[in-house]
Amino acid sequence: MKLFWFETFKTFSRWRTYISFTVIALIVIITEVVMKLSAGEIVYRMLRPFQKDFFITGNILNAWFVTAFIMNGLHIHIPFLITLVAGDMVSGEATSGTIRFLLIRPPSRGRIITAKYLTALFYTSAIVTFFALVCVSLGLPLFGSGDLVIHHYGKFDMSFIPESEVPARIVLAFIAAIWSMTVVASIAFLFSTLAENSIGPIIGTMAVVIVFLVLGNFPLNFFRTLKPYLFTTHMMNLWQQFLVVPIPWQEILRSAIILGLHNAGLFLIAFFIFKRKDIKS
Amino acid sequence: MKKILLFLLLLLILPHWVQAQEEASRYLETIEKKYAGLKDYTAEVTVHFNIETFKTPDMQAKLYYKAPDKIKIESKRTFFFPKEGGYFNPSLFKKEDFETKLMERSASDGKQAVKLKLTPKKTKKGIQHFLLLIDAERILIREMEVIQFDGREVKAVIEYGKFDGFELPSHIQLILDIPSFETEGPKDFDQLIQQPKRVTGSIDITYSNYKVNSGLRDEMFENPKKGK
Repeated sequence: MKLFWFETFKTFSRWRTYISFTVIALIVIITEVVMKLSAGEIVYRMLRPFQKDFFITGNILNAWFVTAFIMNGLHIHIPFLITLVAGDMVSGEATSGTIRFLLIRPPSRGRIITAKYLTALFYTSAIVTFFALVCVSLGLPLFGSGDLVIHHYGKFDMSFIPESEVPARIVLAFIAAIWSMTVVASIAFLFSTLAENSIGPIIGTMAVVIVFLVLGNFPLNFFRTLKPYLFTTHMMNLWQQFLVVPIPWQEILRSAIILGLHNAGLFLIAFFIFKRKDIKS
Repeated sequence: MKKILLFLLLLLILPHWVQAQEEASRYLETIEKKYAGLKDYTAEVTVHFNIETFKTPDMQAKLYYKAPDKIKIESKRTFFFPKEGGYFNPSLFKKEDFETKLMERSASDGKQAVKLKLTPKKTKKGIQHFLLLIDAERILIREMEVIQFDGREVKAVIEYGKFDGFELPSHIQLILDIPSFETEGPKDFDQLIQQPKRVTGSIDITYSNYKVNSGLRDEMFENPKKGK
């Protein structure tokens, strides 16, 4: 535990750790201000499939909708920000030449790698939590509260979540998002144990995420068959399922288990690689 | 000889056709007269959606109507209310606005009914035609089908109650059959390679607490955003 706090302190002492928090704050602020200024256009585009058939009243463009909207960007910008730190956890030590110094101290390699991995997970949780706090704390004064209307663009397809249920679902969605993002952290962490500098793990992780996302979104039967086996599918599905009516708990559990297994597998590989790592040469 | 026969045939058919046309228009006129005294009404509405792709709990709102065509929905929460067939507007079917055709006469449960086809003289809101099933004895629109040019089809089955001397809907069931995708705007690749699906389902609208002719003012139907 002491080792974990030591690693956390080390991570949060670096200024580069705060780049992610600053970027997230900027993304959310810019998005929410632009959404506020183009509220009419957004509501028109969003409700176009329904406007022909329905009179629509109420505050649809509310903080919860804006939060869910920005959360959809999770699969690109948050993974990148996570890799900045998770991809540097072990390789950073090699780059700065402190790895030998670290490993001659009493704690075992196993304890060191576990503490570093937990720190990467802690950082992932911190960044997603910060993202949630900025979204909601800025969104509520700008857009107010209301029922959450989720619809699939261009389709006559809509889920309606009453205002009383929305905060709990958003909290659950963000917890799920943390769980999803830990897989990205695990991949970056594994690559970090393999590399001697941080650029490789960052680019490598992003390449994996982007390739899997692209494969999962090709509208061809071969890729559709492949989609359920890609971690990116579960990474996105997990949090989105909390905004489905009714909540598909079975699917959530399945995705959570699959992502958990990915985490365990990736960590174990990183663990054994680090245990056998030759630091003498 | 053939021409004479044809002329005689026309002479035989034409009066019946004209008579049928006049009769069809007369039903619309009678409905208009029946509700001539209805200046406005307010009612509480509960909407229940039974559409697979439209997952919402029941919604409540207050509906304001003022003749001939003003409508306002008031709800503190998000509310979706069907435009076509969702509310009762007796001024909708003015005989001068439609080409009216008597389709059939029928009798069910001892009640006489007529089916009319109404084609708007001026195309508005993309409506191709209406099909009305009118209770010929009580002069009530029992069913209304709206067929639009873009393939939207909505059928309203209306039940009535007596409120402040007027027969007004107590329950409307809308049966929808509409295209799933937007007919305008950009489409996903998926949407281009698939056959457009149709959305089917029903919406139940229950009306209660009617207030009739309470003197609703025009200003309350104005959209505050439009004025700015």
